[in-house]
Amino acid sequence: MLVVKNLHASVGDKEILKGIDLTVRAGEVHAIMGPNGSGKSTLASVLSGSEKFTVTEGSAEFLGRDILSLPIEERARMGLFLGFQYPVEIPGVTMANFMKIAVNEHRKYRGEEPLTAGEFLRLMREKSAVVELDPKLTSRAVNEGFSGGEKKKNEIFQMAMLEPRLAILDETDSGLDIDALRIVATGVTRLHTEDNATVVITHYQRLLDYIVPDYVHVLYKGRIIHSGDKSLALKLEKEGYDWLINDYREE
Amino acid sequence: MIVEDLITASGAQPLPDNGLLAGGVYALADAGDKSLTVPGGVEASLVVVHTRQDESKLSIELLDAASLSIVVLCEAGAFAEIDIAQHGRSACRLTALMLSSGELACNASLKGREARFDMNGAFVLTGSERGRIRVDVDHLSPDCSSITLVKGVASGSSYGRFEGLVYVAPDAQRTDSQQTSRNITLGADARIETSPQLEIYADDVKCSHGATVGQIDGEQLMYMRQRGLSREQAQRLHIEGFVGDVVMHSAVESLQEQLSARVGAKLENIR
Repeated sequence: MLVVKNLHASVGDKEILKGIDLTVRAGEVHAIMGPNGSGKSTLASVLSGSEKFTVTEGSAEFLGRDILSLPIEERARMGLFLGFQYPVEIPGVTMANFMKIAVNEHRKYRGEEPLTAGEFLRLMREKSAVVELDPKLTSRAVNEGFSGGEKKKNEIFQMAMLEPRLAILDETDSGLDIDALRIVATGVTRLHTEDNATVVITHYQRLLDYIVPDYVHVLYKGRIIHSGDKSLALKLEKEGYDWLINDYREE
Repeated sequence: MIVEDLITASGAQPLPDNGLLAGGVYALADAGDKSLTVPGGVEASLVVVHTRQDESKLSIELLDAASLSIVVLCEAGAFAEIDIAQHGRSACRLTALMLSSGELACNASLKGREARFDMNGAFVLTGSERGRIRVDVDHLSPDCSSITLVKGVASGSSYGRFEGLVYVAPDAQRTDSQQTSRNITLGADARIETSPQLEIYADDVKCSHGATVGQIDGEQLMYMRQRGLSREQAQRLHIEGFVGDVVMHSAVESLQEQLSARVGAKLENIR
């Protein structure tokens, strides 16, 4: 589904990603962990097509297509979803209106007819239940005045509405209390199928109690320095990153 | 067409010859100079539509405790002036939308105690249009309040301007006034200038003013595009929200749908 090879990316003349290799197949859940500043969020941004970063080397294929030259919206319509670490507020634009355009753009891309008003409302109701999102929030402006927990739930709600093939969730667990964490994580798990894949970027093992990863990768200084199964996350929780990154410090 | 739609939607009645408004909704289209009075205690609404490149001056007097909601729509190069004189405890809400070149000057003079003036306005300019909204609020009596919020959008090579002046007379103590101008320019050739000013001669007042001119926020565009909207769709939705806020708080509620449609049609021209 996603094949990333030797991906290098910079902001200005500062190189942040220094050769990422990552393969994600349908049905898999990957967790990317690593200390602050290791490039986790940059990897998410670069894959989704943020124009802040310049790819200087390497390749990224999604569903067999080279995506690095595609604009953000086209990658999104292909089925690549980014759950934002800091969801953006958009005053004056209601969630319902925003999602209606988004869902119908995805449908148009797949050659499907737009949803009728009734179908759309039903879909919204059904999907807001997945993350226990207060249905009233859909008539409010996008993320405006939402609490931290509501914003993150709202990300997963949008993911449920758009049914992506690959969801990259950038620290969706940060700033959540334990109830919100459970709701968000349960939502993600319920949305997981054999046809889609999830990459969760996280600092904490606790998210992985709910979302059980097939693979755990440690990103450090712009490279994946170690990969393993879910037991790696437990070991990191207990022992920290030191035993892994000592060898790389001097570089 | 526009005029009839708006007037039908508002359920307006014809203006009385003597210019004295009883309750209910009235409408005026391209009316030239007119003087109207809202008698004491009466609540009325007024819809004013400009569809021609005419000059006009509308003078309105709100007597004690009168209340008037006004919606002004400027569609085609009109030079319009509205003078509002407010007596004690009167309240005026004004929504102004300028969707083409033109000039609109609103002068509110708060002559009696506890008068309130609340204005919400926007201009949306495309192509090579030039538009200007001026709002002067004179606080002449104590305990009056005024709120002015004017938003501007300019695209293409258009030019927009906001001029605001809040004047507080020496004995207009305990004046409460806010004046805000928020603007978005789209593209390198569009220009907006804004000049919110305060002139205060009383010492016990609460007055604030502020102005911003900027481009659409890149983070917001990125967020919307990540959900599958094209850059143009994202930009348009953002502007719709920005201006839609003014329509959503329109002084005459029955007109919101019609006004949204006018704004929507105008935004189609944004490049």
